[in-house]
Amino acid sequence: MVIDCHVHVQSGLGTAEDRMGYLLAYAGRLGIERLCLSLGTSRDQRPTPETVRADNDMVRAAVERYPDRYLGFCYLNPCYLRESLDEIERCIVDGPFVGIKLWIALQCDQPNVDPICERAAELGVPILQHTWIKVTGNQPWESTPWEVATIARRHPEVTFICGHSGGNWELGYRIVEEVPNVLCEVAGGDPELGQTETGVAMLGAERIVYGSDAPGRSFASQIAKVRGADISETDRALILGGNIQRVLGL
Amino acid sequence: MNRTIIDCNANLGSWPFRRTSYNTPEDLLERIGRVGITQAWVTSLDAVVLKNVAAANAPLAEAVAEHDALRAVGTVNPSWPQWERDVAECAELGMIGVRVNPNYQAWLPTDPIFGELLSAAGELGLFVELTVRMTDERHHHPLMMVPPVALGGLLDLCARHQETTIMVANANNAQVLGVARDAAGPLPERLYFEMSHIESVGGVQAVADQIGVEHLLFGTHAPYYYPEAATLKVFDECDFSEAELEALTHGNAEGLLAAR
Repeated sequence: MVIDCHVHVQSGLGTAEDRMGYLLAYAGRLGIERLCLSLGTSRDQRPTPETVRADNDMVRAAVERYPDRYLGFCYLNPCYLRESLDEIERCIVDGPFVGIKLWIALQCDQPNVDPICERAAELGVPILQHTWIKVTGNQPWESTPWEVATIARRHPEVTFICGHSGGNWELGYRIVEEVPNVLCEVAGGDPELGQTETGVAMLGAERIVYGSDAPGRSFASQIAKVRGADISETDRALILGGNIQRVLGL
Repeated sequence: MNRTIIDCNANLGSWPFRRTSYNTPEDLLERIGRVGITQAWVTSLDAVVLKNVAAANAPLAEAVAEHDALRAVGTVNPSWPQWERDVAECAELGMIGVRVNPNYQAWLPTDPIFGELLSAAGELGLFVELTVRMTDERHHHPLMMVPPVALGGLLDLCARHQETTIMVANANNAQVLGVARDAAGPLPERLYFEMSHIESVGGVQAVADQIGVEHLLFGTHAPYYYPEAATLKVFDECDFSEAELEALTHGNAEGLLAAR
């Protein structure tokens, strides 16, 4: 099974249902069977709890409409800790969300993130944390793989997915290499030849997961990183779906 | 189905900031051949950061000489003295075009020298490849951060140099669509965009719809990029008609060469 672990709600014209169906049609052409969905259309870098709930409700609607295709990741702004823990109850404990998504509201090594990790450990759900290392300058509260490595060491029982592998994947892989509860995903950057092979060589195929960052990114350009990689078919299957299946207990 | 696929944006040689593989003629042909690409137009990666860019042209021509499936595109820096001689050398070497990297060569496309280069190249039957970027600006070496080339003024240049074919390489969706918006109508006949950096779900088709598929060229940016990225976009993700695929994968490229 091919699972895309990093997809966002499509904005634009038409109804939300139309737009989410549109994404599925394109994903299907590339053999992508299930898509982990997070973030709504607000794209607010430090959203209020109300905005977070509205964004998660967009994801919920897609999951409920297409339960065999979408898997929901619960978006949180850890700056609002009480509300974040409540949102975990609303979305994960009460269902149907299966993971947590953290974006750029707060660097993930900050103390507010610890209670979220503790709850993730209790529930056995992974945390997908956006990361990027930009030589042009990160957003004020944008995480890098360094912060992911730090929080992951504090919570070894939680599986962290290092979103985008920091963009600068050669550096990102090195940063998390010795933190075994961190997986790296290939989503969101240019389809640079060698990204997947390097990840397999440094971390092992069990720690690399496929994702696209669609719809901003093309499903095609991102899955090409795995389909085109010089790796074994066993490793390819792990990266395209086996690993995230294991993490999510599917 | 056996299909002719011309990759208008491939590379040979070394890139100073990352070790590249499949960067010899034989290895590149094997690698792009896996996805059905039958011909590639190649530039020199080394030439992007050489001070004397022209020094890479003869070696590139020599490297491809034994490979009918490869066509060489030279590199010229029109801010250096005697650049006209370098353009002429590219023609004499049998190259099909010349590439410029204004951002790595420290000049602007709006500088008068670019117009002079367009004239000189057009007179010799060479197309001009204007390369917007080589890699994601967010990941450049911290001591060599190179901004992308701005495309403002490109339409004016096309209007003043209608005899010359221009291929814009490595431009993203916003840059391509920005030129289309400025044109407010059909693009100049001899202006083409190569598609390797066009992203988003169904993005290549959306861009083709905006600019006209006749202005779009198939390109991979291999071996820096996985060539599968381009083929999967065109053949799998998008839903082009057979006529559109014919144009995009080779018809436009063949027309470009024939019209030089």
